[in-house]
Amino acid sequence: MNQLSSADTEAPPADQQAEAPRDERREALISLFSAEIGDAVVGTHIRAGDDLWIRITREAWLETARFAQQRLRMDFFDFLSGIDWRPSPYGRDMDSQEDIVVHGTEPKEPPAMATGYAGGDTRFQVFARVFSTASHEGVTLKADLPDDDLSIDSWVPVYAGANWHERECHEMYGFTFNGHPYPVNLYLPGDFEGFPLRKDFPLLARRVKPWPGIVDVEPMPGSDDDEGAEGGDS
Amino acid sequence: MAAPTVPESKQLQYISQQAADSRVNVEFETEDGMTLNIGPQHPATHGTLRIITRLDGEQVISCEPVPGYMHRGYEKLTEVRTYPQVTTLINRIDWLGSFANEVPFILAAEKLMEIEAPPRARYIRTILFELSRMANIVLFLGDLGAQLGGVTAVFYAFRDREFVLNQIEAVTGGRFHPNFDRIGGLKDDLPKGWIAETKKCMTRVHDFCDELEDLLIGNEIFQARTRGIGVIPANVGLSYGLSGANIRGSGVDWDIRRDHCPPGLVYDKADWKVCTHPDGDSFSRSWVRLQEVRESAKIVDQLLDSVPSGPVMAKVPRIIKVPEGEAYVATENPLGQMGYYVISKGDLVPFRVKIRSASFNNVSIVPWVTRGVFVPDVITILASLYFILGDIDR
Amino acid sequence: MGLVEKGKIPKRLNDLLALSRKYSIWCYQWGLACCAIEMGAAFVSPRYDIMRLGVIPFPASPRQADLVIISGTVTDKMAPAVRRLYEQMPDPKYVISMGSCANCGGPYWDSYSVTKGVDQLIPVDVYVPGCPPRPEALLEGIVLLQERIQSEDPVERFRGEPIVVG
Repeated sequence: MNQLSSADTEAPPADQQAEAPRDERREALISLFSAEIGDAVVGTHIRAGDDLWIRITREAWLETARFAQQRLRMDFFDFLSGIDWRPSPYGRDMDSQEDIVVHGTEPKEPPAMATGYAGGDTRFQVFARVFSTASHEGVTLKADLPDDDLSIDSWVPVYAGANWHERECHEMYGFTFNGHPYPVNLYLPGDFEGFPLRKDFPLLARRVKPWPGIVDVEPMPGSDDDEGAEGGDS
Repeated sequence: MAAPTVPESKQLQYISQQAADSRVNVEFETEDGMTLNIGPQHPATHGTLRIITRLDGEQVISCEPVPGYMHRGYEKLTEVRTYPQVTTLINRIDWLGSFANEVPFILAAEKLMEIEAPPRARYIRTILFELSRMANIVLFLGDLGAQLGGVTAVFYAFRDREFVLNQIEAVTGGRFHPNFDRIGGLKDDLPKGWIAETKKCMTRVHDFCDELEDLLIGNEIFQARTRGIGVIPANVGLSYGLSGANIRGSGVDWDIRRDHCPPGLVYDKADWKVCTHPDGDSFSRSWVRLQEVRESAKIVDQLLDSVPSGPVMAKVPRIIKVPEGEAYVATENPLGQMGYYVISKGDLVPFRVKIRSASFNNVSIVPWVTRGVFVPDVITILASLYFILGDIDR
Repeated sequence: MGLVEKGKIPKRLNDLLALSRKYSIWCYQWGLACCAIEMGAAFVSPRYDIMRLGVIPFPASPRQADLVIISGTVTDKMAPAVRRLYEQMPDPKYVISMGSCANCGGPYWDSYSVTKGVDQLIPVDVYVPGCPPRPEALLEGIVLLQERIQSEDPVERFRGEPIVVG
């Protein structure tokens, strides 16, 4: 396999790889997918010599899995999970933007919602990765879920290992997997409220107590300037 | 913004309900057979997995693991920690091979930042990776013996594991949560005299393997209890996402270290082989793991001879902001394939980290593989699948 | 033991009882996470060998135990079981909270599913800090507990009011 990807990670995703080096194997893989499921392929992204992303429609989710497993010999089920593309309240400071308000500081403007590789139109996405143990190639599949109907077909009939992953995804995001044999909580107690991995789920402990690094600042070892003493506040 | 406010009455209700739930610690008979609850805690385990089995006499009709007693919310917490802070957390996923947990995450961040660690750092990373594999699997072999009634193996495992831990501690300062890997390299260089010491330690590991092969793997009772128990065909295992020694024990010749090793580790510089076993039963999984310790020791022995000189840290900014992008990096961890799918938005913290941990998939096959086996074999199968609870629940 | 319950125990007898209790602690291992390995190293490994301190690590159930070591992360899902375990133990009973997670939540201080300290559920006698503590630290915690047993007033204990170290 290749060395560190030379593809430009900062380039806009989806369909734009004119600058990047070509990757014939993965392009061939995309054309195989397009030939099978046609218009259901909505967006693609290649990081040359490294990885492949394909975004498909929600309706083609199960059919694509079956095609990948049976025809492309992507026999290894890697993982399945969800993404919430709502801008995160974390990351611009050490404390969440919402918690800063509680402690009396002005929050920073949240950026516009932006999706990742292979694009996306909705807030929620399901993504999964399958892999071929013969050719050592993997593909990350994504599908958009509209806000008013967070449901998608279950992969359990094709990849049995999707069972637990879908249960986890169900309790973490609130997605429904049609046809799942046993859709109950996997991790959380039955009466847990909220969906923890959604970006608007608050971590209440942080409400009560700010990030300890803000209160308890240690200077960086070996530095006289107090740049490091800002506690990671950039 | 729905801040859940839980009333006290509801909390009480929840606790009583849960208490009632965990009171089912005894066997009780139902109309069609018997339900046996195993767990959630057992003194011989580290971590808590509850298994509810429905029995017909001595035979298991169905078996349902109930994980979540160790769920600590990693995927959420990584969204509120900066990149250097995340390594502190993810150490504790698979707590027996901690250093191995850090590596794929750091490699994913390096891939997004387009940084490469200097060659010396890559060698030391690989060596430490293999040392944590040994620390992990040595304990597995001892634990396997204990679970099958041969308690002696545990004492040998704990004794010889200490020597490996000493070497890890000498470099990183931590017995098993090193937090040593950094984006762009390593925190520190090797201490003086460490290479010679580690070479001695490797001979001990080889001795341990020989000893255990006589003591445990070659033992007639052990073989009788593991051979033909819990057979997993390769295609079923793959569709459940089994990886590592579990799938190599089913005859799939696939090892990430050899086949598509992510850049940043130097497995191609050593001469070693991937061990597979065609049977797919509990014995073959254990046997493959034992051979893996041997191969690890071989890798470390060879890499120790050729560690290049130079710096151990590349140039990285003081405050790490990872550029926007997505990356998935998986490595061959002691338990199987561990991968991190990192989505960055150019902030201080990752936007989303999907942690693909090996045990989660490895244990999800338990309901399938335990249908129709006898109760003692459930323990054999669970022990041979080898899971770590932190790695299931995260 | 009527003397103890009446609170009229002679000092010498008290010392003898305390001495015998402190060197025969039956310890139940409640291993929940990483700390369980260090606890296992302290109990099983020939290098640390906890039995030389008079701690017997093999009670079959909490009903036969004097001491429980809560080692590791206690989650909200686990909390009722921990509470139940404590209720099953006979008095006098002692609790060692091992590791940062059991002490205060540790690295998961802001998690949505972790109980921030086992002392919210049961009274704790000795806190052993560290993430995870080395086996030596656990041994020191046990020695401290033994000193405590030697010096405590059994009347207080038998009354069933646990003494909590702040």
